[in-house]
Amino acid sequence: MEGAAVDRRSDAPAVNAPMLNLRDITKRFGATQALEGVSLTLRAGRVHALLGENGAGKSTLIKIMTGVHQPDHGEMLLAGRPLRLASAAEAQRHGIAAIYQEPLLFPDLNVAENIFISHQDRGAVTNWRQMFRRAEEILASLGVALDVRSPARGLTLAAQQSVEIAKAISLNVRVLIMDEPTASLSSHEVAQLFKLVRDLREKDVAILFVSHRMEEVFEIADDVTVFRDGRLISTRPRAEVTPQRAIADMVGREMGLLQPRSPAKLGEKLLSVRGLGRDGAFEDVSFDLRRGEVLGFAGLIGAGRTDVGLALFGIEPATSGQIVLDGRAVTIRSPRQAMALGIAYSSEDRRQLGLSLPMSIATNITLPVLSRYLNWLGLVRTGMERATAEAFRRRLAIRTPSVDIAVSKLSGGNQQKVMLSKWLNTHPALLILDEPTRGIDVGAKAEVHAIIGELAAEGIGIIMISSDLPEVLAMSDRVLVMREGRQMAVLDRDGADQESVMAAAMGQSTARQPSGAEA
Amino acid sequence: MIAAAFARLRGWEGLLLALLVVIVVVNMAHSPYYLGVGNIINLFQLEIEKIIVALMMTLIIINGEIDLSVASVMGMSACVMAWSFRAGVPLPWAMLAAMASGVAAGLINGFWIAYVGLPSLAVTLAGLIGYRGVARILVQDRAIGDYPGWFNALGQQGLVGPLTLSIIIFLAMFAVLGLVLHGAALGRLVYVIGNNLQAARYSGVRVRRVKMTLFVASAVVAALAGLLYAARLGSVRGDMAQGFELDIITIVLLGGVSIFGGSGNLLGVGLSILVILNLRNGMGLADITGNTQTSVIGALLILSVLAPNIAQAIHIRWKGRET
Repeated sequence: MEGAAVDRRSDAPAVNAPMLNLRDITKRFGATQALEGVSLTLRAGRVHALLGENGAGKSTLIKIMTGVHQPDHGEMLLAGRPLRLASAAEAQRHGIAAIYQEPLLFPDLNVAENIFISHQDRGAVTNWRQMFRRAEEILASLGVALDVRSPARGLTLAAQQSVEIAKAISLNVRVLIMDEPTASLSSHEVAQLFKLVRDLREKDVAILFVSHRMEEVFEIADDVTVFRDGRLISTRPRAEVTPQRAIADMVGREMGLLQPRSPAKLGEKLLSVRGLGRDGAFEDVSFDLRRGEVLGFAGLIGAGRTDVGLALFGIEPATSGQIVLDGRAVTIRSPRQAMALGIAYSSEDRRQLGLSLPMSIATNITLPVLSRYLNWLGLVRTGMERATAEAFRRRLAIRTPSVDIAVSKLSGGNQQKVMLSKWLNTHPALLILDEPTRGIDVGAKAEVHAIIGELAAEGIGIIMISSDLPEVLAMSDRVLVMREGRQMAVLDRDGADQESVMAAAMGQSTARQPSGAEA
Repeated sequence: MIAAAFARLRGWEGLLLALLVVIVVVNMAHSPYYLGVGNIINLFQLEIEKIIVALMMTLIIINGEIDLSVASVMGMSACVMAWSFRAGVPLPWAMLAAMASGVAAGLINGFWIAYVGLPSLAVTLAGLIGYRGVARILVQDRAIGDYPGWFNALGQQGLVGPLTLSIIIFLAMFAVLGLVLHGAALGRLVYVIGNNLQAARYSGVRVRRVKMTLFVASAVVAALAGLLYAARLGSVRGDMAQGFELDIITIVLLGGVSIFGGSGNLLGVGLSILVILNLRNGMGLADITGNTQTSVIGALLILSVLAPNIAQAIHIRWKGRET
């Protein structure tokens, strides 16, 4: 330990010397190419911002840098020396630390214990006095006033972040990765955090800063790198980047095979939502939906889109605002009630929330309306049940040898079709589809898109929540963009393109005013 | 159908069936009267209250919950009856009061579990202590006996041929619960909730109502079993049926019902009942003491937890050899 510290001081890097080099890093997970040929240099005393949509490969990169995953190809150099990380503990020993949006503290341990939690060289007996003193020293060097003897429970999020940073400093941090550290902080707390980041920069720490908040990136970063679909698209000094340019890099993807859906004839107004909100999740969401219309919900993960869906389906009921369905004001308190009103919600999480995996296809499809399939004794009419399942199997081309096999045995695309069948069988007027094509292959995706188009043509009003921007743009008649629980814009088909949607999702003001709820 | 039946026999139920055959054959070697009607009736009668409660416990555990309070509800029910009877209430009314105490216990359990959302392990552990407390307060340690003759006869004598009322109730419940669990909407929901409670909720299943129904039914069945037990013994004490809950849960788990919920069936539990009854009886015939009997059943229970894993390992090996 002593020797290592001396060693570090002796080859202390000159300002702006490369600290961590990543060369040609490639990582696959099954069929998914998470990272492809990524080369990135983090320099001592510089804050390097990483931008990209959800799924662009940022998280995978962080996991490789912190030893959670090992790259398939490529190498890492730390201060010029080859670096192989077999575990997160090893990364910490090399002075690579990460802090996350939600601090990972032990609530019942005190602040000092949390700071030194990774030090396993304390010996058999803890020298409490020394530990408290050193903890105080570290916090003082950060300019943070905290009682090191009080438990971590009850600290504000900002204070918890400070403890996380102190923890990193106690490990003689050389590379600090900050993964959306500001997402849960107030603006005052963000200012405090940025002061700490600047101090660390003065101390020649190389910092990787991941954030979805464009203004913060441009306030704190020295360099800006953009990722898209597992590739590094651009790395530039901040002075040479504008927010518009960064967004263009983030979304500059070909539309690929996605054909824009030909819009259906819109029917009368089905749903009207005004000022809808749920405490702590989202607020002031207002929109209209007509029969036969597909309203896309765009935004980054955590923007509150799913929460709106859950409120409309009664799983997490809204706490404010009005819902008018078919001209009637309604309050929705439970899924049962929502289903009775003709609302269906197909969850983003097929495996945990959407389907009962060990049960058969037929069982899953009839579950929400099982009472329709009972005889006078209350027994399930399995013949009728299978007939329904067979009908959907043909209609949606579910590929399975039988409707009696467990849903867990199906591919993701076919599971998605079973989930669609399940909700179509409730004959909904309003269908909320949450990430309807997540994790399914290209062919199945096209099929699901075709089905959505048919359903709209039949006059069902559809809310499609999707993080897949080209999909949202291809399928939607209008796009509602959310960010951090707020509605940012409602864009018409003609006014919505990748740049305008992403700009709204990242909080960049656009030329276009939110067109509001009035249709 | 036949293939499915075979597949089932290769699994845990098959193992239980094989075990049962071995036990019965060994027992027959010990005693030529083993398979006589008298002995079989006796076999069932000795544990009849436990196996009645075990049937309802099967649904509770498949649903992903547990009811530790059943034995205490049995005791409370019997004590409510005994206490009321001694206070001068006619016996039929005293029995009705006992059943009402069961309904109350079920509603209390169900309220905390289904509507407040507390874990059933904690709630019914509290019930185990609380309902037993009621039983002890009402009757204390002195036995209350001297019931009308018809009551004792109900517990001890054949009602239809050699079949006692308890055995008839057991058989009827086995048939009805089998139909409910494997054919009715309620049974379907019991499995769905046991598999994945959140998915059930997201499908609009009334999870609370199902759980409430099960816990009330469990306590009512336990209360009935308490009365049958009192009728069979002819007297009631505050510590009646104490500790039965563990034997009951053992029967269910040995029947191949997953303690994590979502899987298992009534056929397995039926076989498990036969295995345990015959095993205890056989060991009794061979002069093996009660403590040893309990150890053997404990070992069986551990085996039942391990068996699915072992079976799967063998299955994978077998498949590997074919390809």
